[in-house]
Amino acid sequence: MTPLLQVDGLTKRFKERTVVKGISFSVAEGSCAALLGPNGAGKTTTISMLAGLLQPTEGSIQLRVGGKPVLDRRPYIGYLPQMPVFYPWMSGKEFLNYAGELAGLTTREAALKTGEWLEAVGLGADGQRKIGGYSGGMKQRLGLAQALIHRPKLLILDEPVSALDPAGRKDVLSLLQRIRRETTVLFSTHVLHDAEEICDEILMIKAGEIALQGNLEHIRREYSEPVIRMEVGGEKASQDWLASVGNKAFVLQAEIAGTRAELTVADVEQASHELMEDAVAHHVIFRKFESGQSTLEDLFMKVVQA
Amino acid sequence: MRQFRLFFRKEMLEMGRSYKWLWVPLVFLMLGVMQPIVTRFMPEILKSAGNMPKGMTITMEPPSGAEVMAQTLSQYNSVGLLILVLSLMTMISGERQSGVSQMIFSKPVSFVSYTAAKWMSMLSLITVSFVLGYAGAWYYTAQMIGPVDAAAAVKAGLFYLLWMWFAGSLTLLVSSLLNPAAGIAFVSLGAALLLSLMYGMIPEYLAWSPGALPQLAITFLQREGGDTGKAGALAISILCMAVFFAGAVSMVKYKKSKI
Ligand SMILES: Nc1ncnc2c1ncn2[C@@H]1O[C@H](COP(=O)(O)OP(=O)(O)OP(=O)(O)O)[C@@H](O)[C@H]1O
Ligand SMILES: [Mg+2]
Repeated sequence: MTPLLQVDGLTKRFKERTVVKGISFSVAEGSCAALLGPNGAGKTTTISMLAGLLQPTEGSIQLRVGGKPVLDRRPYIGYLPQMPVFYPWMSGKEFLNYAGELAGLTTREAALKTGEWLEAVGLGADGQRKIGGYSGGMKQRLGLAQALIHRPKLLILDEPVSALDPAGRKDVLSLLQRIRRETTVLFSTHVLHDAEEICDEILMIKAGEIALQGNLEHIRREYSEPVIRMEVGGEKASQDWLASVGNKAFVLQAEIAGTRAELTVADVEQASHELMEDAVAHHVIFRKFESGQSTLEDLFMKVVQA
Repeated sequence: MRQFRLFFRKEMLEMGRSYKWLWVPLVFLMLGVMQPIVTRFMPEILKSAGNMPKGMTITMEPPSGAEVMAQTLSQYNSVGLLILVLSLMTMISGERQSGVSQMIFSKPVSFVSYTAAKWMSMLSLITVSFVLGYAGAWYYTAQMIGPVDAAAAVKAGLFYLLWMWFAGSLTLLVSSLLNPAAGIAFVSLGAALLLSLMYGMIPEYLAWSPGALPQLAITFLQREGGDTGKAGALAISILCMAVFFAGAVSMVKYKKSKI
């Protein structure tokens, strides 16, 4: 597939602080990519550059429409800021109509689309009310509608669900699920779960650099490692034993805290046999013993904390 | 052009819904009407105050219509200017500060149309408010004080209107440069007052300064004549407004949002 968005060596410096450090990635047409990273990673800064609100210090951003790079990305982009702000004195309907016309729809189209999108985001009944009286979730949904009203090729969303309650979050995610069949989506989040739910590509960034990127399934397979999680009783014999398991030959990596341990091993079966035998010999009491694969969450935490 | 219309309609709507279209013209009308009325009743007011020393009579030369009109214009140069700056100061910075601009500027909008709509709505508000206030002042002056030479009054009004336009343009430029509202008010008001004060002190060196406009307007009414540089001040002011506009367009484009 041809990339719709191609970013090369994107860098942003504020005074002497470099916040985004030469990141490169591409987003294929029709895909959904998540920009994943902890607070302060540089997600908003990156997205603002993509949306054309911030001038990159270095690097290039290319949007290809019909195979050719475009000079002005704005007609093809729908953008939702992290904290959308509207004119409080306008009604939701007025704002959508205004946004649609600014994006180039004719008066008639704008009116038509305004009605459609108000319904689609569940604001049909509140369209006439002033935005000043909207709740955070309603604003988020109105923001989504204004980003989509002109049928953009690429939808860029900055933390679209972070500020929402679980119900609102579910609403927006299922809306995105529906949209992504027609539109390429790039959104940022610090919650891995949101990315897993609708995306097929992830870009993990940390302190302005890409820590990991690629197809979600691919990453899941590539990086999943056999792990053994166990919990032992609180008495001394068990704890001493647990503290020593990290030194065993088959343990690649160990995280031990109190009565719990998580071991990354080469071979689960062999490892569990040996651990069991050893534990019996040392009179260890198990509370829990679980073998399995490391999850993406583990990987994410590892990347974030590394 | 279509975008200009959209932006302009939005600005007008905003000024309507925030009641700027009500209170700014009303304040200007009040300022305009007050001067002739107060002047007319000043002797009565003083008399009723009644604490004059015995035997003292104030002989006040009743002022002419033109003089009262000139005083009205001086009123506009203090309170009027303040109201103007306060009502316009956040026109550009406000949207950047709140963050609405992020959504607007991620759309394929023209920065010239955006800024031009702000400019046009500012000029409309000033023109309507000033014309209303000035007409009110003229009417009451003619009724209560005495006739005013029409040609002089119109010329003075036009010069003064241009000065208000200049001050409005200056405020919008500063609004595109700075974010804090207090800073914008301080800088715009300070610059406008400084310009007119400096002309008052060294008129011979600043004959073409926009700061000459209010004084020139007053001179028309007093028919002292002899003031040179009217055309120069006119041309320079209009040039300044054009430069301010261009500057604001590029600032709007450069500082799309506060991030
Ligand atoms: N205008 C600015 N001047 C200086 N530093 C800035 C500016 N904007 C952002 N930063 C810094 O850049 C870093 C990245 O900020 P950014 O807002 O992109 O993070 P983020 O990933 O969006 O975080 P969050 O999850 O909290 O939204 C932060 O450390 C922030 O302090
Ligand atoms: Mg952010």
